[in-house]
Amino acid sequence: MSPWESVIPNIGAADATRTAEAPMDSDAFGQFYERSAHSLWAYLARVSGDPALADDLMQESYVRLLCVTLPEEGEVAHRRYLFRIATNLLRDHWRRPGTTSIEELPEEFFSSSDGQTRLDLHALLGPALARMRPRDRQILWLAHAEGYSHREIAEITGLGSASIRLLLFRARRKIADLLREQPVAERRAP
Amino acid sequence: MTLHPCAREKEVAELLRLGHWPDASSNELRAHVNGCRMCSDFVLVTQTFQAARERSLPSRPFQSPGVLWWRAQLRRQNAAVERMNKPILGAQIFALSITALLAVGFVVFQAAHGVGWLSWFTDFSQSRASYVEGLHVLTSAASGWGLDLLVPGLAALAVLSGVVLYLASDRQ
Repeated sequence: MSPWESVIPNIGAADATRTAEAPMDSDAFGQFYERSAHSLWAYLARVSGDPALADDLMQESYVRLLCVTLPEEGEVAHRRYLFRIATNLLRDHWRRPGTTSIEELPEEFFSSSDGQTRLDLHALLGPALARMRPRDRQILWLAHAEGYSHREIAEITGLGSASIRLLLFRARRKIADLLREQPVAERRAP
Repeated sequence: MTLHPCAREKEVAELLRLGHWPDASSNELRAHVNGCRMCSDFVLVTQTFQAARERSLPSRPFQSPGVLWWRAQLRRQNAAVERMNKPILGAQIFALSITALLAVGFVVFQAAHGVGWLSWFTDFSQSRASYVEGLHVLTSAASGWGLDLLVPGLAALAVLSGVVLYLASDRQ
């Protein structure tokens, strides 16, 4: 408690309540959540390879979205901002001590399942996606699963539009090659 | 590695977005996609990711939006209260700095004038006189500072220091 509150009770309460107004009311948020939660969870789960982590980051993303003054109006902008928050949270998670930078993660990171928390990528996505780097998976997911443009992906990931174009081109070519190889690999499997 | 996009990529992307690929597309476009590396990659990757998106189902139900909304409200309120307390903390630091500055200034000033008031303690203990006599000694020993300036100044410094210390400790 502030020392001044012992002198003047609730000195900060009125202003605190006034500044604590959420960018959308509870009902509007509920509707927005219903429409966007599945997409966001799928993005986080596919890119991180960890459904439990996706649960946590998804909740944190929504709470943070409600705590900021959104720069733009409209559900499309809110949704884009939500993905941006989630992308930053993922990046923060990888930067923490004990985890590895997104740039340094080996491609095999996501294919080495521990059988409990990681997604069974081989069953759900195929080995091709599991062999992509996390950043490539982020960009590919945003472009091909969510349908975002290069400019929007640049906004979400914090990369330059020109870089996105090049990265996406390379990632798409690589994963397409891997996807085409997949049936051959499956035939070879016992 | 060429980076020029195929001119028909947008057309293919639109058909995929609407779910019209390949049934609602022309034979000519299908033939183009079969022969164009960029477009065939685009179709293959988009279909794979969209299928993966549809199949992505969480193992347990999502958190209720109401709970998340109230959590956010609580966090916003805490942040707002924190923001309001920042100026108070600043004022405390400012007061502490001023007090320390005054104290240092006072000591430096007295040192520059021969620390004359220190002799008061010696005189006071030697005189064994009455309180009034003690005050008289103090007045005469204050080397240019009158008793009416020195005593209230010290008292104010002590009180201010006490208040600052109280506020700083209560804050923590």
